[in-house]
Parts: sequence; C-alpha cells; structure tokens
Amino acid sequence: MTNPVSRREFMNLLGATFGTGALIRVGSALGMLPAVAALTRPVLAAPAPGAGTAVILGAGISGLTAAWELAKAGYDVTVLESSNRAGGRVMTVRSGDVVDEIGNRQVCEWDNEPHMYFNAGAARIPSTHRNLLSYCKELGVDLEVFINESKTALIQDDAMLDGKPIRNADVSTNVRGFLGELFAKSFTTAQLDQPFSESEAETIMGLIRQFGSLDREMNYKGSNRNGYVSGGFIDHGVQKEIIEFKHLMKSRLISQTLTANEGETGPLLMQPVGGMDRIIAGFTRALGDRVKYKTPVMSVMVKEAGVEVVYLQDGVPQPITADYCFNCIPAHFMAGIEHNLPGDYMQAMKYIRRGEAIKGAFQAKERFWEKEEIYGGISWTSAPIRQLWYPSHGIHKDKGVILAAYDFGNGGEFTRMSQAERVEWLLKGGEKLHSNYRQMVEKPITIAWHRMNHMLGCSARWGRSGGGMTMEEEGLYHTLQAPALGRHYMIGDQISFHGAWQESAILSAHWALADMDQRVRSAA
Amino acid sequence: MMKKGVAVSGLLLGSLLSTHALAQTEGSEYYNDRYCMTCHGADGMGSEGIRGPRLAGMEPWYLKRQLENFRAGVRGTHEMDVPGTEMRPMAVPLTDESIADLLGWIGSWEYRPAEITLTNGDAAAGQPLYGTCATCHGADAQGNEALGAPALAGQNDWYLFAQLKNFKAGYRGTHADDTYGAQMVPMAAALADDTAILNVVSYINTLGR
Repeated sequence: MTNPVSRREFMNLLGATFGTGALIRVGSALGMLPAVAALTRPVLAAPAPGAGTAVILGAGISGLTAAWELAKAGYDVTVLESSNRAGGRVMTVRSGDVVDEIGNRQVCEWDNEPHMYFNAGAARIPSTHRNLLSYCKELGVDLEVFINESKTALIQDDAMLDGKPIRNADVSTNVRGFLGELFAKSFTTAQLDQPFSESEAETIMGLIRQFGSLDREMNYKGSNRNGYVSGGFIDHGVQKEIIEFKHLMKSRLISQTLTANEGETGPLLMQPVGGMDRIIAGFTRALGDRVKYKTPVMSVMVKEAGVEVVYLQDGVPQPITADYCFNCIPAHFMAGIEHNLPGDYMQAMKYIRRGEAIKGAFQAKERFWEKEEIYGGISWTSAPIRQLWYPSHGIHKDKGVILAAYDFGNGGEFTRMSQAERVEWLLKGGEKLHSNYRQMVEKPITIAWHRMNHMLGCSARWGRSGGGMTMEEEGLYHTLQAPALGRHYMIGDQISFHGAWQESAILSAHWALADMDQRVRSAA
Repeated sequence: MMKKGVAVSGLLLGSLLSTHALAQTEGSEYYNDRYCMTCHGADGMGSEGIRGPRLAGMEPWYLKRQLENFRAGVRGTHEMDVPGTEMRPMAVPLTDESIADLLGWIGSWEYRPAEITLTNGDAAAGQPLYGTCATCHGADAQGNEALGAPALAGQNDWYLFAQLKNFKAGYRGTHADDTYGAQMVPMAAALADDTAILNVVSYINTLGR
C-alpha cells in the first residue's frame, strides 16, 4: 500500500470533508434512532369506585391516546380542545381547510380530490414506531408506503457545479467511489487496532471495492450505479462521466445522499392513505362526543380530592372536576392559564423553547417531476427552502401537491415574512431545482408553527447546547414528567427526549397512564 | 377569573363578519379577530411563556393606541423587539370596528394584578429611581390618561423590565410617529443598567396591588 493514511488522519479528513456532524450525530431529530419502542400499551385496571373520571386537556395525539385507553378501561373521559379541530400538529391541509395562523389566515383552494393534500406537521411513520402503528391497526387507519429517498431526485447547491442540480445518485455514486478509493489506498492491517489475517484483509478489500464500485486495481473510474447517459436496455449503455469529488465536496448536502436511509428515516416509512389526520379521525371516531371542541382551558387547579378545570364554552366559563388530568397543552401556554401547579413545574415549563419548524406547499398544475423520472422522494437544495417533497401518492394523476419547503430547526426568518414574501421565497428556492417551477405551481399554503393558533410553536426544545440534554435539563424534564399530587400529568412529545414524533407523544401518554395505574392498583 | 360580560359575541356578529377581508368558504367556521388569549393568557392574565403581557385591566385608551400603533407599524417593526414583531401581524388585519370589538371584549376581563416573578431586585434602591416615572405614571403607578401614561401597577414585571430595556436600547419609542414612546426613551436612558431597571421594576411591584 502506498501513501498510507493513519486512521486518525483519515477520520480528520472525513471530519473536514463532511463537518463534524458526519462523525458525531447527537440529539438531532432525524439522526438519532431510538431503540424500537416496546409495545407499552398499558392494561389499565378498572377505575376505583368513585374515582373514575378523567379530563384530558388538548386533543393532540397524546391526549387522544390517553383518552382512548382510559375510556376503554371504563373511565368517564372528557377531552377539552381549544381549536375547532383535533390533532394539534398532526394536521392535514386539503381543499377548503383553514390554516389558522394568527395574523395570516389562509384558506386552501386546491382541487377537491382525495390525493390533493399535504401533511403540515407529522408526515412520516417509521416501521419501528410500533405503538403508533398498533393504533393505526386498531382504529382501521389504512397505511401506504412513504417514499423518502429517490435516487432520481435532485441535489442542488449554489456552491457546487455552478449551482446546477444533479441527481441524488450522481452524488452518492461518485462520493462513494472517492471514499472507496481512499479507503483502499489507506488500508493496511498494521494501522488498525485489531490486526486482521490476510484472508480477512481480502474480505475487507472486497467490501471496499463494492462500496466504492472500484475496478480491479481499486481505482474509481466511474460506475453505472447512477445510470447510463444513454442506452443499456437494447443497445450498449454509455457510462456517465465522473463528477470529481473536489466539486461535490463543496456542498454539505452530499451527506444527505448517504444517510437518508439511516437514523429515524432508515426504517420503512409509511403514511396513512388520505392524510396523516386519518389517525386523528380514527381516535375521534372512537371517542365520539367525549371530545369537546372550541373549549379553551382557563384554569387548572390540582387538589387532593381531584383536579378542577374551568374551560370556556360559547364564551361562558364551565367547571369540570375529575379524578385525573392528562395535559398536552403546549407547556409555553401554561403560564397564561390560571393554575396551582408546583413552582418547579413552572420553572421547567418556562425553560422549554418553542420550536420554529416551517413548511410550505403548492398545488402543482401538473406532476412535472414525473417527467423528470422523479416519483416520490426528496430533493435537497442549499436555498433556504432546504427540501422539496414529491408526493408518494397520486402517481400519474393530473395534479399533485408538492411540499415546497421544510426547515425543522430554523424557521424564524420565514415566520417573520409576509405571506407574499414567503411565497416568493418558496418559488425562488424551488426554481433552483426545477427551472419551470414558477410556472408549474399555484395556490400556496405556508405553515409557520411558531404562529399557528392554539400552538405557537413546533416541538418543544429542551436542549440549548446543541448536543442533547444537559444534566440540568434532564432534571427539569423529569420534574415535568412526574405527576402533580398524583393527579395531573403533563404529556405530549414535549415530555420526551425525541420531540416531533407521534410515537414520542404516545409513549409519554403511556408512561403517564402506567404511573396512574400503578397508583390506582396500589391504593386498591 | 370568572368573567361576567361575556355574552357580546352574538350582538357583534354582524359587524365582525365584515372585519376580515378573507373569503369564507362554505361551511367554514365563523371567524373573528379575538385571538388575544392565545398569547396573552386566559382572560388576558399575561403569559410569560409567549412573552405576552397582561391585558386584563389595561386602560381601553392605552390598548387602542397600542393596537393602532402596531397596526400602523409604529410599534413592532424593530427587528430586535422580537415579541413586538410577533404582535404586529396580529394587528395588521384589524379594522377600526374589530379594534372596538376587542376593546369591549378585553374590557370584560377583570383587573387582576400579575404574579410577581422578579424577586432578586432591590425595591428600596428602586424607589428614588421611580420618582421620574411617578411624574407621568402616578405615585402609585396607577397611570394618567391625560398624560397618555398607562398604569404600571399590576403589570407583568418581566414585561416592564423588557420594555424599559427596549426603550433604553432604542427598540421602542424611536419611530417618528411614536409620540408617547419618544418621551419614554430619555427616561429609560436615565436608568444606568439592568440592575437599575430591575430595581425600579421591583419597586413598582410593591405599588397598587
């Protein structure tokens, strides 16, 4: 082996190329893949005599989960929802729907067709989210596959190749070719902590060769993995030119082409047929008139004997008392609701920051992406829209709804724009990927969760250090997870290590139900 | 917190329907501009989580002026005033009728002093500093409509603290049309630092409760 590179040097090189993020991925919502959730559905004991009432604050998915499990166990359940719809950030936008952003109310004017929708919040269900999937099954919610990565989708970066969009596969094939060659040239048995035998070394070299699509001399000379320029079916294929790594490395987006099938987006992803809110509809159908809409909570008083809640109905305060209260109201609202929750609760609630995720969507006058051999999947751009999602559903229909932007972490700038500015921002970003974008799309919808009525934030942000929770933050988290007087539980994805996923919201409800159940059983 | 004058919605329905330009699609929800409680808390009690100050008990003339200022861009346009920039889009679509409706609605909320959250200040050190404030806002921080000075007593202390800092830094009161705000700028500038601001707010916390 010539020109050996030590492992440390190699890791440093990788780090310099991809940024530290490629080496250390901590805490990010997508990069982290929690263990497959155990099925934690509690089997609740029947309520104790005279202690069988529960009030659920908020009809988000955690609240609905708690309500449904309690109802099945025989509790008398009331769900109070301040909005005119259930689901919170599990929200699907379709024809005629109102997007109730404060100061920027929008009405969706898309064609009224079953496939013409967009999931404005939760949009993907990994096959490892067993609890959510079990509710889909129980509630009769039909699922279909969600296409997360398509190798024909595009990668575009102003810093790379003069901003010209290229196929995902053109990036990943050439990057792997380069890395494969680098691995091969730097691999010597002596440099690894664990010595390998000759035959093991051969196996490793074989793997490296396959990884990078290298030739027999372990050189990368291009590959047909990213498709031919022409031919290949009934005549000879013409291989594509190599795109040199020094060009590709100008873009940080190249890591997207290598890691899209890892982390939380690694398992098979699914979506409910017809929109994510079919799950919510399943719950509300099962719960019937137990769910009360347009009933904002005004006061929550936790007493030894029960929880006293006051809510508004048609503008008139109504009291309700329950033995147990499960509360998925966003924590940042609780300071504006009269309550007697302990001081350390409030300290923890005030610590959480409101998420700023944004999305956008257009009705596409035709499915122009299908003419570019793109069916589903995500294109990435260095423009601030970051992503375009092509719908997995409605293939070959006349029109479709394209997700026009998704920024999970930094939506502040978009949020502060006027609707007209947002739309121009969406169009400018989309044009980077598809030159005819502006002509192809119409009827914009923008979603700024930080401004949505009844929500005013996307998923709760616990960590401020950028690397998961600190010890102090974890302490605050456990404070908020614990019940007040054994009667009031905060729930929702806000009470989890892994915000923005429905599974987290459900697991937090299960945790609270199990805690309550254990108290009920030990008192019996 | 039980409020009495809540049965206004039906009476005002006719005028409210004309207060928003957006088309109502068939079967859509009745819509008005009464969004206040989302950010300002139940019955306008103030909501620190959103940085939305207490509205319950706020003078109608002051509320009206601020809503009009937000609508006109006199407030809520300085990019460093983040909560202000969040308030502005709420005010932009308001008509004079919907502002009148909001004043009637907010006026139905009973005055209730906000919870004290700043406990590490020195109220005694703040008392002499308050002397300047008292000229307009009154010795008991009860406010003075003739001078255009709102009551400070019972307002959220974190809000008073933030606004004094905003005035001092020029994030508020520097718009050419903010006549009353402009008077506050030199007053806030006279407070030496955050400690002085904290102390004067701590003193206000002792008044009129």
